Formats: sequence, C-alpha cells, structure tokens
Amino acid sequence: MNAAIPLIDSDLVGTTGARHGAMGYLTDTTLCIGCKACEVACKQWNQLPMDNLEWTGYSYDNTKDLSATTWRHVAFIEQLDGTNGHSPGVMPPFQSNWLMMSDICKHCVKAGCLEACPTGAIIRTEFDTVVIQQDICNGCGYCVPSCPFGVPDLSASDHKAHKCTLCYDRMVDDLEPACSKACPTDSIQFGPIDELMQRAERRVAELHQRGVKSAYIYGDRAVGGTQGIDGLNCFFILTAEPEVYNLPAYPELPQDKVGSAWLATLGAAFAIGAVAVAALRGR
Amino acid sequence: MTTRYERTWDNRRKQSKQTPADESANGARSVTDQTRASYYGVPVIHKPHWKWLIIVYFFVGGISGASYVLASIAHLVGGKDAGRIVRAGRYLSLAALLPSPILLILDLGRPERFHHMLYILKLRSTMSVGTWILTIFSGFCGLSALIQAAEDGLLSRIGFANRLLLALPAKAIGAIGSLFGFGMSGYTGILIAATAVPFWAKNYRLMGPLFLTSALSNASAAITLTLSLARGTSHSTLQRLEHLDMLAAIGELTLLIMARRNLGPVIARPLREGSLGNIYRWGVLGVGITAPLALLSLTRLKPHAAPRLLAGISAALTLIGGFLFRYVFVMAGRASADDPQATYEFTRRERPLG
Ligand code: SF4
Ligand code: SF4
Repeated sequence: MNAAIPLIDSDLVGTTGARHGAMGYLTDTTLCIGCKACEVACKQWNQLPMDNLEWTGYSYDNTKDLSATTWRHVAFIEQLDGTNGHSPGVMPPFQSNWLMMSDICKHCVKAGCLEACPTGAIIRTEFDTVVIQQDICNGCGYCVPSCPFGVPDLSASDHKAHKCTLCYDRMVDDLEPACSKACPTDSIQFGPIDELMQRAERRVAELHQRGVKSAYIYGDRAVGGTQGIDGLNCFFILTAEPEVYNLPAYPELPQDKVGSAWLATLGAAFAIGAVAVAALRGR
Repeated sequence: MTTRYERTWDNRRKQSKQTPADESANGARSVTDQTRASYYGVPVIHKPHWKWLIIVYFFVGGISGASYVLASIAHLVGGKDAGRIVRAGRYLSLAALLPSPILLILDLGRPERFHHMLYILKLRSTMSVGTWILTIFSGFCGLSALIQAAEDGLLSRIGFANRLLLALPAKAIGAIGSLFGFGMSGYTGILIAATAVPFWAKNYRLMGPLFLTSALSNASAAITLTLSLARGTSHSTLQRLEHLDMLAAIGELTLLIMARRNLGPVIARPLREGSLGNIYRWGVLGVGITAPLALLSLTRLKPHAAPRLLAGISAALTLIGGFLFRYVFVMAGRASADDPQATYEFTRRERPLG
C-alpha cells in the first residue's frame, strides 16, 4: 500500500467552508466494488447518451474521464508498484491492491466554473450545489479550462457545457440523487455536508484503527479543497495519493489571481505608455 | 457552423492507439514508470476548445487596441509631424477591430446566444470583463475613425455629421478610449491566466503584460509597415516608429525569458519539445524578435541604406512573430492541460494556505 499521503496541514483536516445545510456526497472509496451502478443510474436519470464503448486497456474503465455525457466516472487503479510488472504475490489484506473510485463534479464551495461563466448560466442553487442552466449557456467554453478538476465539457451534439447537477430535479422533490440511491455498498452517501464530514472523520479513524493507515479525506480544506476553493461539497475518502486517482493535490481557485493579474497588467500599461510617449514625442 | 471538438470518438480511439512508450511520455503510469503515478496518462483537467478563431482574434484584437493607443499618444504628444501615425493608427485600429466580434461569436458553441454575455458583468470573470471592454472600445474606436475620416475630408458630403465630428474633443476621446485600448490588448492574457491550465496559470502575473507588450510591438509594426508602403512618409516619422519597434521587441524578449524561467522544466515542456518548440524558437524568438532587432540595429548604424525597405521588412517579420507567439501560447496551453504531470507539478507547488 502506498503510504505517501500528501503533506496534510493538520489544523485544516475535516474543515470545510460549506454553509450549514449545504448538500453533497461523501464517496468512500474503501467501500467501492466498481460495479458502475452509479454511472448507469446517472445516465438513466439524466438521459445521457451512451459513450462510444471501446477497450481502453485501462483495467475495467471504459469511460476514461468525466465528460459532457459522463457525469459519474468510476476509475480502476491496479496497483502493481514494486512488483516489476508481475502480479503481486503477496497482497496486503485490503482490496487486493485494486483501488476503485467513483469520480464526480465536486460542487466546490467556491467554484472556478461558476466564477468563470460570463453569461451567468452557472448558478449556486438553494442546496449550495453548482448547476449549469441549459437555457442560458452559450457554449463559450470558458468554464471548461476554469475547473481545477476537469469536470465540465462542451457537448459535441448541442455545443453547450454539461456536468453533474447533483440531481437538482430530484432534490427539489425531496428525492435522493440517482447515483447514491443506486450505490449498493453505500460507497456514495448523500446528505448535509456537516453530517457527512463528521461521518467521514469517524470512518477515517476507524480505517486507521483497522490498519489502513493511509486513509484520509480528500475535499476538506487540507487536501483537494485548498487555496481559495474552501472545501468540496462532494468529497472522498481515499487511501493513496490524490494523483493516483487523477486528482490534483492542492488545486486553487483560478479567479483568485484575477486581481493581481490586472494590477500587473496595469503596471505594464503605464510602462508601455511612457515608452510610447518618449518614442513618439514631437521634436 | 459546426465546430469539431476534441473529445470525440475518433480522438479517443487515436489516443488509445498510443504505444506504451508514448503513454509514459504523456505521464502515463506503466509498470516500469518512474515518474509520479498518474491515471493511465488521462489529463487531469479539460483543455479549452480554443483554436484558430481565438488565435486570430488574440492577434487582431491586440493590434486594434494597441494601434488605438499609439494613435492617441501620437495625437497628444507627437506634434504636427505625427499626423500620419495618427491617421494610420486610427484606421488600422478600426480595420483590425471589425473581424473581432465575428471571430468571437463564431467561436461560441451557440453563436445565436452571444448576447447572453451582455446582460451581466462579472468582475472576476475575465471573459465577461473582456466582452464589455470590447463592446465599449468598439464605440471609441469607431468614433475616432469617423473623426479621422472627417478630418481627411471623406465625409464632406454629409455636412452636418462632418461639422459635428470635427467639433468633438478628439484628444480627450482618444485619451479615454486608450484605457479601453489597453484593456483590449491586455485582457486576453489575463483571460487565459485565470484558468486551471498550468502553462498559463503559472505565469498569471506575466501573461497580461506579455500580451500587452506583444500587441504594442505588433501595432507599431503594422503602422510602420503601412507607412513604409505609403508614399511621402518622412524619414523622421519612420525613425520614431522604428525606435518604438525596437523598445517593444526588447520588452517582449525580456518578458518571454522571465516567463520561461518561471515555468520550470515540466510545465514548459511544450515550449521545448516537438513542432511547437521549433515554432517557438525559430518563429517567435528568431523571426519575430531577433531578426527585426538585427535589421533595426542595421538601420541605426547605416541610417541611409534603404531605410524604408528595411523598416518594412522588419515590421513584416514582427507581425509574423506576433501571430506565431499567440499560436504557440494558445497551443502550448492546450498541450499542458493534456499533460497530467504538468497539472500535478502545478498543484503540488505550495502547501495549502493556513
Ligand atoms: S468541480 Fe469543477 S465543475 Fe464542479 S463545481 Fe467545482 S469547478 Fe465547477
Ligand atoms: S460554456 Fe456555458 S456554462 Fe460554460 S462558461 Fe460559457 S456560458 Fe457559462
């Protein structure tokens, strides 16, 4: 088991900027069995078209990535470290070196996609989730590179941006979102963040006690919800470095740079103006 | 218009045909791989769809804003002698502005909804701020071009409009419009810097100044080129412009070196490797900056050896380099978004804020 867990700022572990009453998911990857019920339930409820199935060679993963048509994506990681390419002869007593994780839009407490959107199509709902209004989006595509987790994408069929809505249409009717409803092991748990975060901390403590020392929360202010993002409404319990799951360790909110970027540009404008005045002055 | 996006069936297939060696070059995790583990080399973040339309827009939009600034400055401080620079700057600014909104609208997934951007202003969304800068700048740019047309006697048949335009305070309009002109040529750098793309975001303080300086050197080159082709441009006018061209090229080179150093080896990979690396080295640094600087130094050493021809050639080279600069920076951003190791490097660089 990979024990190299990122530098955790211990004061921040388990803290989040999420408002009291905000809703989200706890995805406990130690319970995931890779059945993809969440992927299927999501596609079914949200009427998302199928992806072009192919043999990726990436273990049991055939969707590869979150996209405009895949809002839950189950990653399959076969850890063969230190075995020179052979199947490990001795397995640690935990998930057979095989990690599975159901990835999703993190519904960030401060969301890069939302702040980037120039039309106001991306809104924060009454549940503190982040939703793209399809009747407003004009497909400018700015939210796509502005998400630190690579979630939204432009659809090749309607040319607008799409991502997980955290089943807003189910929540307004007091229904649990489709993926967590379908998850047979309760790897995906839905509820108010304060409650879920406490549950996550208890679970991490329990895992440590049972010998899985590498378990930690991804999506509090210490890892994942860092640097201006202020926590993720959809957070995870992981047992290897974030990069193993293709997650950034310390992402940052891109828009926190806008102010100083403008200041620097203003300074450059003054300098350039002065140079131009000097060069063009009439003699 | 149908735009083709990257994440389609064909491309996915192509990606999956990579050999294991290619994949580990992309940061993929193979059993023998020594680099930081990644998820089969799948990108961590999504790259923007921006390509040719946006590259061309960055180029013409920058020229439009900066020519306006140069025309206004020449009008304010240039004295009588600067009339030609003012005229060329104002007309060029309008000519470069006209295609800009068309390019931007065509780049949208749903062009018919472009006006959805015009009901809202979000100061932290540079796309929103830029839309408004472009909208307001268009007004100033059009007005100044009309004033120029009136001064040139092109509007004398419409007596009323002519008199009105000539009565307007052209200098004040130019000064205020220049603020938006600066915004036009600089915001594009901030637009790409305020994303999660490592190649752009790592240099967030330098991208605005870089785009601004490059826009200025392109605008100055465009004016030089126009005037070197026009008959009867005085030697002193050309000399002033050449002086400006040179200073701008030096500024651009300095900023490019700073940006390259700040990126570090992993994130700067697209600038080093492959065809992009070659275009950057030979096109941007060679053709676009070094060659014009050499030519301009030559005209300084031998002031009377075909000054016009040399000025014209160096201006044309600067413009080619300016376009390639935008090409390389947009494409390098896309390449770095596709490189998981670049994103890991970028998001590992600091401990979380306490
Ligand atoms: S994970 Fe990305 S798409 Fe989801 S809320 Fe955060 S920034 Fe937006
Ligand atoms: S693509 Fe749509 S949702 Fe994304 S930033 Fe543009 S308008 Fe907003």
